[in-house]
This record gives sequence, C-alpha cells and structure tokens, in this order.
Amino acid sequence: MIRAALGLELRTLLRSPLRLVVLILTLGVGGFVIAQGQGDVQRWREAIDAGRSKQEESVAEARAFLDADQTGPEDRPWIDLTKPLWQDRYAATRLVREPAPLAGIAFASLETDAVAVRISRSTDPLLAQGAKIENPELEAAGGFDLVTVLALFIPLLLLALGVEVGGHERASGILPLIRVQSGGESRWLCARCAVIGGIGAAAGLLLVLAASVAGAVDLGSSLIFAGLVLCYVALWTSLLTVVALVARHPSQGAVALGGFWIVLCILVPALGVERAAAIGAEDFALDLTVDARDAGGAAGDLDDESVFESLLQRYPRLELDLPDERPSVSYVERGGLGFIELEERMKQREALGQEQVMLVERVSLASPVVAFTRALEGLAGRGPGAAQEHQRAVLDAVSDRVERLIAGTWKGDPLDAGDFEELLASTPEVLSSRQRAPTKDFVILIAWTLAFVAAAALLSRRGSRRRQVPQSSVAALA
Amino acid sequence: MILTLLVNEWRGLLRDGRAAMLLALGALLAVASTWTAASTDARERLAQVTATGDARDAWIEREADNPHQRAHFGDFVFRPSGPLAGLDSGLQMVTGRSVRLEAHRQNDAVHVPHKEASALLRFDRLEPSTVLNLLAPLVLILAGFGTVASERESGRLRLLRIQGASPVALLLAKALSLWSIGVLLNLLVVGTHLFFAQEAAAVGSTLAYFSVHFLALWIVSVLVACVSSWCRRPGTAAGVLLGLWVGSAIALPRLTALAANAAIPLPSRDAFDAAMQEDREKGLDGHNPRDVRRLEVEESVLAEYGVSTKEELPVNLDGFLMQADEEYGNQVWDQHFGRLEQLLRRQSDLVASLSLANPLQAADRISMSIAGTGLDSHLAFLNQVESHRRTLVQKLNDEHALGGSKTGDWAWKPELDFYGSFATFQFEPLSLGQALARCRAEWGALLVWFIGLTGLLLYSARRLERGGSL
Repeated sequence: MIRAALGLELRTLLRSPLRLVVLILTLGVGGFVIAQGQGDVQRWREAIDAGRSKQEESVAEARAFLDADQTGPEDRPWIDLTKPLWQDRYAATRLVREPAPLAGIAFASLETDAVAVRISRSTDPLLAQGAKIENPELEAAGGFDLVTVLALFIPLLLLALGVEVGGHERASGILPLIRVQSGGESRWLCARCAVIGGIGAAAGLLLVLAASVAGAVDLGSSLIFAGLVLCYVALWTSLLTVVALVARHPSQGAVALGGFWIVLCILVPALGVERAAAIGAEDFALDLTVDARDAGGAAGDLDDESVFESLLQRYPRLELDLPDERPSVSYVERGGLGFIELEERMKQREALGQEQVMLVERVSLASPVVAFTRALEGLAGRGPGAAQEHQRAVLDAVSDRVERLIAGTWKGDPLDAGDFEELLASTPEVLSSRQRAPTKDFVILIAWTLAFVAAAALLSRRGSRRRQVPQSSVAALA
Repeated sequence: MILTLLVNEWRGLLRDGRAAMLLALGALLAVASTWTAASTDARERLAQVTATGDARDAWIEREADNPHQRAHFGDFVFRPSGPLAGLDSGLQMVTGRSVRLEAHRQNDAVHVPHKEASALLRFDRLEPSTVLNLLAPLVLILAGFGTVASERESGRLRLLRIQGASPVALLLAKALSLWSIGVLLNLLVVGTHLFFAQEAAAVGSTLAYFSVHFLALWIVSVLVACVSSWCRRPGTAAGVLLGLWVGSAIALPRLTALAANAAIPLPSRDAFDAAMQEDREKGLDGHNPRDVRRLEVEESVLAEYGVSTKEELPVNLDGFLMQADEEYGNQVWDQHFGRLEQLLRRQSDLVASLSLANPLQAADRISMSIAGTGLDSHLAFLNQVESHRRTLVQKLNDEHALGGSKTGDWAWKPELDFYGSFATFQFEPLSLGQALARCRAEWGALLVWFIGLTGLLLYSARRLERGGSL
C-alpha cells in the first residue's frame, strides 16, 4: 500500500509544477535563512572579539605601568594602579556569552542582552544593551529565521502536497474502486498521508542537516533538533490524515487544513502576544529608572552605621577586613550599597520576566507551534532564559569585584602586579550558552500528535463500521 | 442588475452555514481584539502619565544642587502611545519605552517589557489592525474562493448568463458582496474602537485609517473574484488564494525585512559606540583633540571678558567649557545618529518600494503611519527627546556659567525654584498630513493595484464570457 502511495505521490509531485515550486521554495528559503543565521553568528563572534581586544588593550596598558613601577599615565596623575579602584577599572574583563552551535537557527529571536559585558564595580547588567542595532520596523515584521521557516512553512508544505487527499477521492467517486483494489479506503488515505509526511520530513531533515553542518553542531544536539522536527512533521501529518478521512471535497479539505493552520500558527500565538502586551502594559521600568536613581540618592543620605551594617550583612567575609577603627564611609562603601540595591532590582525584574515566561508556557500548551519555536529557541541557546543566565553571571562577577574593592580599600595596602593578575584570574570570561532541554515541548508535541492519531483511528474505525453495516443487513435479508 | 446580484450574493452567503459562521467569527474577532487592545492601550497611557509624573516629582522635589550635578542626575522621558495606538500598535512592541536625559550622552530608548516572551514575539499581535490587515483578507478568501468557481461547477453560472447577467456585472457584484463583508468588519473595528477609546480620536486620522483598509479590502475582494473566475475548481481557487495570502501576509513582509537588512546592513552597537567615542575624544576631523578645544574656549572667554586669568573672570568658566563640550558632542551625535537614521530610512524606503509587490504590506505601513506608531513617529519621538535634552543641559550649563558662581566652585547652588522652571517633555506627534506624505510609495502601490485589478476584473469578465478557466 505504502509503495503504491509513494509512487503516486512522487508522480504527482513531479507532474505538478505548483507542488514542486512549493517544495523548492521551502528548501530555498530554508537554505537562505541558514546562511543568514551563520552571518548573524559571525557578527556575534566579531562583537565578542571586539570586546576582548578592548580588554587586552586595557590590561596590557596596566601591565606596562605596573612592570615599570608606575602608578599610571604621567599626564593623568590621579590614576593610581596601587589602589583597588583603578585596578578594577583597568582589569576590564569582558564576560562574553558564547553562541551555542545552533545559535544561527533562531537569529531573529528578540534579544536585548549584550553578548560581551565589561565587568567592573559599577556594571549594571540590566542596562547593558544588545550587540545589534535593530531597525524596529524590520524587527516588527516578525522573525524570519530557520525556526520560523520550520514552524510555519513545513506545515504549509504538507498542506500544499496533501490538500486534495481524501477529498479528491470522494469527490471524483474513485473510493469504491480503491476499496475493491486495496481492501480499505482508510488504509489508502493513511498511506498517502504518511508518504506526504515522509516528503515533509525529508525536507525538514535536509534543512536540519544543512544547519547542523553549517554550525558544526555536535551529534547530540543535531539528533534532538532532528527529533523535534520529526515530531512536528508527525503532528501535522496526523492532522492531515484526520482531515483526509473526513473531507468530502478538496475545497473542504483546503478550508479545514487552512483553518487549522491559521488557528494554530496565527490566532493562538496572536492571542498570546496580545496577552504579553497586556501584562507589560504598565511596565515603564520605573524600578530601573526613577526609583533606581532615587535609591542611589537615598543611599548617599544613610548614616555610616547603617551603611556598614548593610554591607556586612550582604558580605559577611568583609568582617575580617574591617579595621578596628572604622573608616568614614566613602563612595566605595556607597557603591557597595548601590550594588545591593541592584541585586534587589534584578530579583524584581526576574520575577516580572517570569510572568511572561509562564505565559509562553501556557500558550505553548494551546499551540504546538509555539511549543516548537520555544523548543528550538532553547536548543539554539537564545531567548530570555539564556539572556537572564548571562545577566546573572555578570551580576555575580560584579558582586565579587565590589567585595574585593571594599576589602582592598579597608585593608589599605598598596596593590601590585600580582594583585592585578589575581583580580583578572578571579573574573570569569566566558559563559557558554546553555541549551535548554526541550523535554516539556517534546511532551506537548507528542500529546498533540497522539490526540490527532487517536482522532484519525476513531474516524477510520467509524468509517469502516459504517460501510460494514449495510453488507450484514443484506446478508441477513438474504 | 448589480444590486439584484449583490442581494442574491448576500442571501447565498447567509444561507451557507459555513460562510455565516465565518462572518460571525470575523465579527467576534474584530470586537474582541478592539476591546482588548483598547484596554491595554488605556492602561499603557495611564502608566505613561504616572511614570512621567513620578519623574517630574523626583526632579522638582530633589533639594537644590549644583547645575552640573543635576545634569548628571538627569531626567527620564517615557514614550507616549501613538494617537491611534489602540487600533494599530505598530512598532511599539519592539521599541524601548524609557529614555534617560543626561549630560554628555545621547541615550537610546531602552526597556522592552515583553522581551521575555520572545518565542511569541515572532508572531503578530491580535489587535484591530491584525484583524483588518491579516485576518479580514483571509475571511474574504474563505468566504469567496468558490464565488464563481462553484457557480461554474454547479452550472448556475450558465443559468445566470441566460437570465441576462453580464459577466462584468456578475464579477462586480461578487467583488462588491465580498467587499461589503470587509466594510462591515472595518466598521465594527473602528466603531468598537471609538466606543472604548478614552480620548476622542482625531476625525481625520480615523477617516484615513478607514479609507486605507477600505481600499486594501477592495483590492483583496476583486482579486478573490478574479481568481475564482479563472479557476475551474473551487479547490484550485482555494489553493491559489491561500498561497497568495500566506505569501503576502506571512512570507513577504519577513522576506523584505531580511532583504533590507542584508542590502543595507546596520553597524554593530560596539562599532557605533566606539566610532562616536573616538570622534568625541579626537575630534571629528581627527586633528582636534579635546584638550585643544578646551584651550580654545578658555581663550575666547577670557578675551570676551577682557581678563588674563580664569580667576579674574566674573563668570564661571566651567559652565562655558561644559556647554562648548556639549555642543561639540552634539555635532558628533548628529553626525553618527544622523548617519544611523539615514540607514534606517534607507532600509524603510527599500521595504516601501518592495511593498509595491504586496498591497497588504503597503496598507499595513500606511496604517501604522496614520496610527502614529510607525518608524517615522519613533524617529520623530527620539529627535524631539534629544532636542529637549539639549535645551535642558544648555539651561543647566548657562546657569552654572552665568548664575553667579566663580570658576572652580562646584558647591554653588542656584535657587530651588530654578529647577521648577524646567518644562516637562511634550511629544508632538506627526500631523496626519506629514504621516500621509511619508507614505507616498505605499499609496502609489495601492493605486497601482487598484487600477491593475480593475483592469483584471474587466479582462476576467471578457474571459468568462468566452468560457475560459484554469
């Protein structure tokens, strides 16, 4: 049965220019966005290299001064590299976010996080801007990367190839003939859908292979990527089968499949976006702007005792470095207080962001398309999770710098080249983008597929029972 | 004749359960999207007013400080919604909302509150403009793909011809009946918007919004009628029309954005910032470093007051130096941000010219522009904010220089009411005329499609008369 269906579908594909064009277009557009994605990853790496070269310049300058027993440049006498503040300034380590091997497949995901952040005591990861300058008009057109091509175009490819399955057989009256020749119309229709699904899967896997080769992706990630694509194709194939089993006419099939595509790919995600806008409607980032600035001013008004209390509560290890005679509070300690407030703001931001993340999770339950795009973004190491992880790592590195700066200032010993090297070594330089395991999304895709498969099985059994009843009645009458 | 055929078409639509369901769904979507978008927009407007008020209070209530300290303390501007943002939020989902105004820096708008929902943001929002520009064409396609093809298949077409219906009248009536569905949806959307709108929308803008969608929906209606008349089977018509819809509503806008990005690349943020920093330090011509410029200003102020040392000056030299540096910085910002704006506009112009191939995209761009949420509005906002920043910093520097302090006196403070005299930022949105004038290419595209499809309708009618089909 499958062999016969395969022969028919391949012949139809070769004979029908429209279908062939759709297939070639899908592959062509897929190849184009893979190349664009690689270009994006290249620019990402260039931004990292630019950051690193600035870091090297600054470090080399400081090393030259320290090796020559100078405290800093002669024309700027206020710079003193024996002091913790200036060592922190010159140890301009960039904490970079390395792109994951599959980063190129989701280059259109909206990310405002920087890929290389300079670490110093005053770094604010919440204000660090992304490496790309985007034209909002192009950004608002919607992402067009491999994730979009796979999520929206693979179902359309299946729709274009299988739009007449079932409906054509019924409308042209050839079903009785199929029943006689192959023993069951459902099996024939399922075989046709399976072959069309196979063509879709082959196209999807070809794009997966191309993206994996282009990004030099490890086997494990490639297999997960391929698994997700196969799962997604299986889902749409099972939906195609359901429609094929009920469509009385090709136009009915077209409308039903088009309707499903629109609801799952456009309407449900659009509702989600609308909800996201509603959640963010009142968020004008007062915590990051007016409140943060005012809090800085309020920290300046705190009495010395409260400043020391807050600092020691946050950094208990500093107790060891605190001189017996407490120094008067300077910008170093107040800067520490500012950092503690930044940590609080970060927590609030994470909580606010969590609401949007939960929304995406809920929408992904209602639309497998969203689950699929979320899974691919996670696999590409892009999206809010990856950005937040980087911000968190930056915050930790800044926290370490703040603690060292306060401790060094309180100790009061002049610092040397060894301290500078230790400071450099203590700051992490690389955060590899961690891929998010798409377990939940896999489960959602499988659940949707099983639901459609169950519906198809039910329809198929009901169809064959309906056809058996008149035969038995005739036998009884005889 | 056309009226009779039109009434007949509507009867048929209402009799057909699927079409009636489709219309009900379209109406529901129109009302629901307008209602939710209006409520989100109202909350946004309120939050923007509150945020602006908070920033103003912080500015006024702060105790008197040195003008330069105040210039570093800075102020914040929060982006207001476009005049018709409840109908079309345009680019507001992806543009930052807060701009910090401070000395020595021209900041960009930051903070996109929805970025954590990035997996969703590659899709469109369900708002009135999405319904009219994306879903209404689809409703027309689903309601009308068989409008002629089914008549031909069932033999009714021949009957109509025998009864005296001319092909032109027939196709015109079919297109009009589909268009009337679009008109109804348009009326529902704008009517619901006016019902829920907090502020009275400008009549001119609302009418312009109305018109652009009327025109776009007419183009879609004629296209549906023509394709249906060309196809022998309704299934083929459905396939062709759905393909066209996917192409124009989903694929082409994204592809043109990608093409514009590839054809006119923007600099990376690092490269952009580094180039600006370099010009700021070394001078725009590379031979005018900061220290030299400072000396020149110092000499000119000393000469102006006829003294030989800064201690003898009756004014504060620091204020002059800071303002001169600020003005030099402004030249640098103007050059770099100006170049960036040019690049953005060139990308936008490229997309505008490519929209000649896609009437839905042309209509979408005009719709954003009328709603005050397009690129031009965003750039106008950023330019006005920058102009406000320059006025603010200049006033502070002038006070520092001429308010009564002497050079080197950083502890001097003006009277508290000086800070109360600063005006809050008021955004002047582009007028309707300006908005429409900037969409000439898109209007041209719609006009070309309108004329072209009218010609196609006449040609299809002649073809129908001869009995031709796909």
